[in-house]
Amino acid sequence: MSVDFLHPSEGAAIDGNVPALELRGIDKRFPGVVALENVDFTLEAGKIHALMGENGAGKSTLIKIMAGVYGKEAGTIRMRGREVDIKSPRDSLKEGIKVVFQEIALISEFTVAENIFLEGYPTGKMGSIDWKKIRADSAALFNRIGFNVDPAARTGSLPVSQQQMVEIARALAHEARVVVMDEPTSSLTPNEVSLLFTVIRRLAALGIAVVYVSHKLDEVFEIADTVTVLRDGRHISTKPIGEHTNDTLIQDMIGRRIDNLFPRQRGAAGSKIALSVEGLSTAKKLHDVSFEARAGEVLGFFGLMGAGRTELAKAIVGYDPITSGTIAVDGIRLAPHDTRTGVKLGIGLLTEDRKSEGLMGELPVYQNASLASLGAFARLGFVDKAREHRAVQDYVDRFRIKTPSLFQQVKNLSGGNQQKVLIARWLMRGLKVIVVDEPTRGIDVGAKSEIFALIDRLAGEGLAVIMMTSEMPELLGLADRIAVMCEGRLTVIMSREEATQEKILNAAIG
Amino acid sequence: MSLASTTSTKAQPSPLARLFARQEVALLVCLVLVLAFFSVTVDNFFSVRNLTNVLGQASLPLIAGIGCAIVFISGEVDISIGSLLATIALPLIIIMNDTNSLLLGIGGALLFGLIIGVVNGYLTAYAGINSLIVTLGTMFIMRGGVYLYTGQRAIPDDASLDSFIALSDGRLFNVLPYSAVIAIVLLAVFAYMMQHRPFGRQIYAVGGNQEVARLAGYDVRRVKFICFIISALLATVAGIILAARVGSAQHTAGLNFEFQVVAATVLGGVSLAGGIGSLTGMALGVLILQFLSNGLRGLGLPTEWQLVITGMIIIAAVALDEAKRRRANGG
Repeated sequence: MSVDFLHPSEGAAIDGNVPALELRGIDKRFPGVVALENVDFTLEAGKIHALMGENGAGKSTLIKIMAGVYGKEAGTIRMRGREVDIKSPRDSLKEGIKVVFQEIALISEFTVAENIFLEGYPTGKMGSIDWKKIRADSAALFNRIGFNVDPAARTGSLPVSQQQMVEIARALAHEARVVVMDEPTSSLTPNEVSLLFTVIRRLAALGIAVVYVSHKLDEVFEIADTVTVLRDGRHISTKPIGEHTNDTLIQDMIGRRIDNLFPRQRGAAGSKIALSVEGLSTAKKLHDVSFEARAGEVLGFFGLMGAGRTELAKAIVGYDPITSGTIAVDGIRLAPHDTRTGVKLGIGLLTEDRKSEGLMGELPVYQNASLASLGAFARLGFVDKAREHRAVQDYVDRFRIKTPSLFQQVKNLSGGNQQKVLIARWLMRGLKVIVVDEPTRGIDVGAKSEIFALIDRLAGEGLAVIMMTSEMPELLGLADRIAVMCEGRLTVIMSREEATQEKILNAAIG
Repeated sequence: MSLASTTSTKAQPSPLARLFARQEVALLVCLVLVLAFFSVTVDNFFSVRNLTNVLGQASLPLIAGIGCAIVFISGEVDISIGSLLATIALPLIIIMNDTNSLLLGIGGALLFGLIIGVVNGYLTAYAGINSLIVTLGTMFIMRGGVYLYTGQRAIPDDASLDSFIALSDGRLFNVLPYSAVIAIVLLAVFAYMMQHRPFGRQIYAVGGNQEVARLAGYDVRRVKFICFIISALLATVAGIILAARVGSAQHTAGLNFEFQVVAATVLGGVSLAGGIGSLTGMALGVLILQFLSNGLRGLGLPTEWQLVITGMIIIAAVALDEAKRRRANGG
């Protein structure tokens, strides 16, 4: 029996103790990373089950396996006791698993109503689409939920919060057994959140198993019956919410201690202000962010998904336009949207997205490294290749970049060595401030400590290092001071000494 | 809270403003202006004979344009259609000459077209090769093959079947060329499919956002594969009409035809990026370019100038459209 939210039949609901959905021993690997290891996850019909964990704990991977976006490497999935083979989103939808993804997954050119019925158009005589029914049903659906969205609007023209409501409504337009909501409230107002909670409770009352993914503790305590915590791709605990307190939940989420990945070589930071940012706001994300970074220090920025770290990184180096505020390097104002002056002043970004924003994979190591400083090697407008090669070779030696030669295509290097090539690119240019965004994303553990050592060394050479990270150990291990962001705002800056994981996570949750 | 303030709905434009914001309406206005201008400046332009003649000429790009637009909407391109016109004329004429049967000839041509569509579609959708490259490749291969096979001599239609010749000069009620009738029927069928059948909407969804379409349970590769087959089969129909018109299989048939079709499709507001545009828009684009070229010829302007003007119009139209879209998306 599956349940139709719009046309519920009486007493469809719950039968006995067979789980609505049961995942057992799920393994998933990505190149260099174990995303999930032997994870069990069991959902009961009519219950609201919160799934929690830090960034990178494996929540999204688990959801995507349920949704058929990723295949699993090992393990079994059972729907009401029957083993099912979910190989594609289509299989998952057929089983009645509806996922509300965190990233908006709608066709922006379509109307709201059409998006709601995207996975199966109601058809009338001779298989033609019944547009009347689509309009009427989507209006009825919004009425029932209490969301105020115009079904006839072009989806792309709506603000993100309304698109999120469309996403939610879509999951309810067809018969469902399991509804998964991945951070569904990230852009909803408190009023809309309470409407959503009413809907979720109604879904549960209809016998649907609900998975609620969130890092907002108060929401989880309000809505969930059961909580499962993942950490580093492993199942840590599954308990009724009544057995948890804020502290035990955070404890389960963090759990690990910080090991010896971070050999600190550098001395104390200087007192000279290298970068000062005041009242920085952007149209989409940031609100009134102010801070200073000193030469020789590592200033770590922590924040959960969507907190605005990457946006901040791009704004302070001048990639992205800002709506108000000032940025100054060594006291000199940097005009927004002006990477040329940024480079001249000596501020550079080590991007989170090496492949599309950092490297030119087909080109050799030396060209990737010298890109930002070709002017320095030029003679009469021509690049002096010999000088260029010598300079790059110098960095390859100093940073121990593992490459067979300067002429190797950079895409063939490991993630860690690619990252070093990028760092070399900026240092060759002569930098005062370097912004590193998730410096160890996609880099395996062994290479991580080398990157940490390199960052330590950069600060030791007198650069101000602004490090954006979602990894707690990295933050606590490397930073002199820790800034925490939540929803586009800077909530607190603390010194390494006063920082604890609990304090940081609390500030990030807001 | 600042989010809440941005959610307050923008003032909705009036229905009339919405109507005029529609691409098709703007194109229709352009077409009327073109017709009006040449009706005044060119003698006999606005006569039943001339208008229906142009419609007959427009039928080839109209028919092939349906396929071109569908492939565009799915987010791919197909530029092999010009060479396809020449290729499928070979089995058509040869089979007709051998069997004296129009149906067998058309059957053979459609089979060839189907195979070409399968090759284009398979290489793009399943083998994952860029469709511009795939269809550029098949375009050269087919043209080269036709040159080799014919030794660059036309193969005349010796069967001269009445029904085949009627495709070229027959007129419904002695007014509308049959080729135009075929184009209109096909347009109606496929426009209906694109707007009111689930498969048509799937094509829009796949072109609009492939990942979203996949999450909605669509078989993205299958949708694209079928689009290439539709395109090849429609180009085959255009090729059959062309062969009837020239009374032979010509190695140069359809040379540069693909660019004529792409130009009209783009002018009609079908985006190369996928997911945007309509067959109605494409049809209006074809008609504007056809009547423009007919009218300019009437004014005595040499073909060279027609090319220059067509080129400028296409760039201007797309630039305007892009500006409009950017404004609509607020930056």
